[in-house]
Amino acid sequence: MRETWVVGAATNRFGKMAETGREAASRVALAAIDSAGLEPKDIEQTFVSNAFGVAERQAHVGPLINTALGIPEVPSVTIESACSSSSAALHEAFVHVAGGFADAALVVGVEKLSHLDTFASTSYFAMGADYAFESRNGATFPGLYATLASAYRREHGSRPEEFGAVAVKNHANAAMNPNAHFQRPITLDTYLGSPIIASPLRLYDCCPFSDGASAIVVAARERLPRPAAEPLVIRASARAGSVADMHDRETLTGLPATRAAGLKAFRMAKVEPAQIDFLEVHDCFTVAEIMALEDLGFFPKGHAGRATVDGVTAHDGRLPVNPSGGLKAKGHPVSATGAAQVVEIFEQFNGHAGGRQVPKTGLALAHNVGATGGSCSVHIFGRR
Amino acid sequence: MRNEGGPAPHTIDDYRRGYEEEHRLRGFRSSCGFTTATWGLLCPSCGRRDLQEVELSREGRVVAFSVQNVPSDEFLNDAPYAYLVVELAGGGRVTGWMPSARSESDVTIGDRVRFVESYRNGVHFERSPAEPA
Repeated sequence: MRETWVVGAATNRFGKMAETGREAASRVALAAIDSAGLEPKDIEQTFVSNAFGVAERQAHVGPLINTALGIPEVPSVTIESACSSSSAALHEAFVHVAGGFADAALVVGVEKLSHLDTFASTSYFAMGADYAFESRNGATFPGLYATLASAYRREHGSRPEEFGAVAVKNHANAAMNPNAHFQRPITLDTYLGSPIIASPLRLYDCCPFSDGASAIVVAARERLPRPAAEPLVIRASARAGSVADMHDRETLTGLPATRAAGLKAFRMAKVEPAQIDFLEVHDCFTVAEIMALEDLGFFPKGHAGRATVDGVTAHDGRLPVNPSGGLKAKGHPVSATGAAQVVEIFEQFNGHAGGRQVPKTGLALAHNVGATGGSCSVHIFGRR
Repeated sequence: MRNEGGPAPHTIDDYRRGYEEEHRLRGFRSSCGFTTATWGLLCPSCGRRDLQEVELSREGRVVAFSVQNVPSDEFLNDAPYAYLVVELAGGGRVTGWMPSARSESDVTIGDRVRFVESYRNGVHFERSPAEPA
């Protein structure tokens, strides 16, 4: 297996895009290739994620992007894994490059749903759930995570302020990220005063529906010995699955796929959680960040909320979590999210994160969940 | 799944017809004890091929829930309502909904509930009569 690097990365401003998904995806792809000091013709394979492309009446978007980039002959494939689509695409790119099937690969994730109304967007998000056994009984996507949150609170007796601390922290980080959907910090009072969407989750527990596009370029070290920017060495690229319907799992207070992917990744990278300097984790809802930190082994079960209240996970804390603002406040354009987490780590490693720059950038972890945990990616990145 | 000489195992649509038209919850049980309403060919818990058709209980207890104030488009006229995960009396979990639970104070984890006939799609639960309101 060849040493494989992330050599370029780019994202656009998350929120509402006026342009189509294919236009946004093509622009960020070119920006990512430029940041690597490469030309589009250096790309040998494109991995695209656009889970809800049908909302724009568009499938098979890879050839459209490659054509726009002047490389129509380059093969492309669409990777779908719900909210973990573009981290799954990164995994496929890693497999290709590390395995010697390509020297350089492009990963692009894009989503555009803002032209739909809230009920239609809610219904699209729910498509990651099991329609016959969950959605037909009234489950929405917030409702499914809220159901986990009810079980979590029951088991651990956690207070609303612990979920609120995640929201306040991630909005504060997003306010320092010019590409974040939300640009203003919130207070705990604002959080506690926000309406219940799906009990016990409030409006500010939930990520927004965002449009957005992110791209990364993966290359073999031997192909690019002197990269244009400080590369991320991919120390681990792990995927795991679990029983798709969460009610059929043994636990409702964590995600087994997170635990499994985390264990695989730590084993592959030969590191322990205590060695990780900062993380981007999948916080589609505040409870998801708390469960992720526990399932990955950073805190005992029932303790991550308290640690968040205590500032441990702030961008200048002992273990910065979601310095980008996370899905919660940077935004969650479903298929762009996994790649966007890597863009943030790339910017942090290169010292380009401005006010949200974390103190130490030796080892970072990205965690990205598909739907309610039927699939999960964990990547660990280090320095040369 | 064993069906030699017997009727074909039920389909997802049979499950739907079961709760919508026949007032029954059809499920599967593996020799490892794993029981579920969710359709499958092999047991997701142990991987064995010996799933048996079972009739699931209509009684159970709430193990997790969420009151939905912002519904999906299919439940637009029914919000607020509770989405439930129910542990059934004879084993196995199913999901369902409870239209009478319109706020968090209307339902609690541990509540005994019963599958009832409904005016619309979905596995409709209400509190068991034995449970004080």
